Amino acid sequence: MCLGVPMRIVEIDGFAARCEARGIERKASLFLLQHEDLKVGDLVMIHVGNAIQKMSEEDAQTAWDLYDEIFEAEAAQDA
Amino acid sequence: MTSARTWLERIRGLPLPDSVRVMNVCGGHERSITMAGLRGALPPQVELIPGPGCPVCVCPEEDIYAAIQLARRDDVTVAAFGDMLRVPCNAPKAEPRSLEQAKAAGGDVRPVSSPEEVLAIAKAHPDREVVFFAAGFETTTAPVAGLIANGLREGLPPNLSVLLSGRLTWPAVALLLDSDTPGFDALVAPGHVSTVMGPEEWEFVPKKHGIPAAVAGFNPESLLAALYSVLRQVIENRPFLDNCYQAVAQPGGNPTARAILNDVMDVTDANWRGIGVIPGSGFTLQEKLGDLDARVRFSIEPEEDRKRAGEMPPGCDCARVVLGKIYPNQCILYGKACTPRKPIGPCMVSDEGACRIWWASGVREQAGADLVRE
Ligand code: SF4
Repeated sequence: MCLGVPMRIVEIDGFAARCEARGIERKASLFLLQHEDLKVGDLVMIHVGNAIQKMSEEDAQTAWDLYDEIFEAEAAQDA
Repeated sequence: MTSARTWLERIRGLPLPDSVRVMNVCGGHERSITMAGLRGALPPQVELIPGPGCPVCVCPEEDIYAAIQLARRDDVTVAAFGDMLRVPCNAPKAEPRSLEQAKAAGGDVRPVSSPEEVLAIAKAHPDREVVFFAAGFETTTAPVAGLIANGLREGLPPNLSVLLSGRLTWPAVALLLDSDTPGFDALVAPGHVSTVMGPEEWEFVPKKHGIPAAVAGFNPESLLAALYSVLRQVIENRPFLDNCYQAVAQPGGNPTARAILNDVMDVTDANWRGIGVIPGSGFTLQEKLGDLDARVRFSIEPEEDRKRAGEMPPGCDCARVVLGKIYPNQCILYGKACTPRKPIGPCMVSDEGACRIWWASGVREQAGADLVRE
């Protein structure tokens, strides 16, 4: 549960946002980042549907690479 | 960024003592460590121990039992994070032993992946009571608090209530450090718990106990940087709190999340499955929230028997796995009676349970003699 996934904000409506990562879209709440000035295009760390922190491109990229590896490895082991 | 290979070379170049035991307290960290094969790549003196990093594993039986009883009612829908559904608890023979079994027996149980999904379910079914069974550490509890705080502004559907089983991570580490046998010499502190609560929460580890600590992110580079930091601290006998996840885990944590947690929740003593009551380790909903708290709405009084027992399923060694006293494959049921397909204990159910993580990374054997820690 604590893993969290970086996603890019594609639309903001109040505290509700649509976010995208690797072609997958999800709804997310921006309620916990009220202290940040968030814009479409920003990257955020999403945890159980909530943005908990803003992120840089570089950090987001390393996190995605890691998840690709983990999910591939697990898929292979669970098969 | 410094590569994983470079960090490994630096670690291999350190004048290490005969044995250094480094504990992590995050299922995400343990997953990265096992998947990247870090244990095999590190010098043999360095032992990496998975500690209390799985909120699902320590969710007390009395809460699981209460959620199951709610799910058996005709008028109630129970929503819970997916991991919780298969976690077994002890129950009389004819009764369901997990939320999944309650669902199979006709109960309305919904796996969700965010608090906002529960809100949508409650709005879509105004004729049913919808209970959000929310177990998790700070990273999960803060979004639950966010749902409640936002709801207080906009109005929450009257049929929604929350059965909260939130836990704080650091008190479990404090419990270990206050005991005679902590079982570790250095700590890798959790990245996202620190993102929400602030890295400062872990200052007590070096300051009060003289144990090196470093906050880490989830990729091998960040984990190895944290390992290098704590190993150097051990060698130089200069413990402090380092932060190897600075871009994300910032000083003070997430100010909104912390303020909202303070606004709607209190911190109390709380029961950890198989471990017992840990002071100041649980979140409860504040009294002002009234029957938004499912414990109030449904008059849930934890049964004393069940609390006392508070045990893992018979034969399951999850309690010692969670406390970092043994490795997962030192449980005699690991890979034999207990596998992810037929899990016996919560550590084999949850994605953050050490048994599940080790199995997923390909560990199929029982521990050899060299791994025995006790
Ligand atoms: S292998 Fe199964 S029974 Fe043993 S500690 Fe892990 S979850 Fe419990």
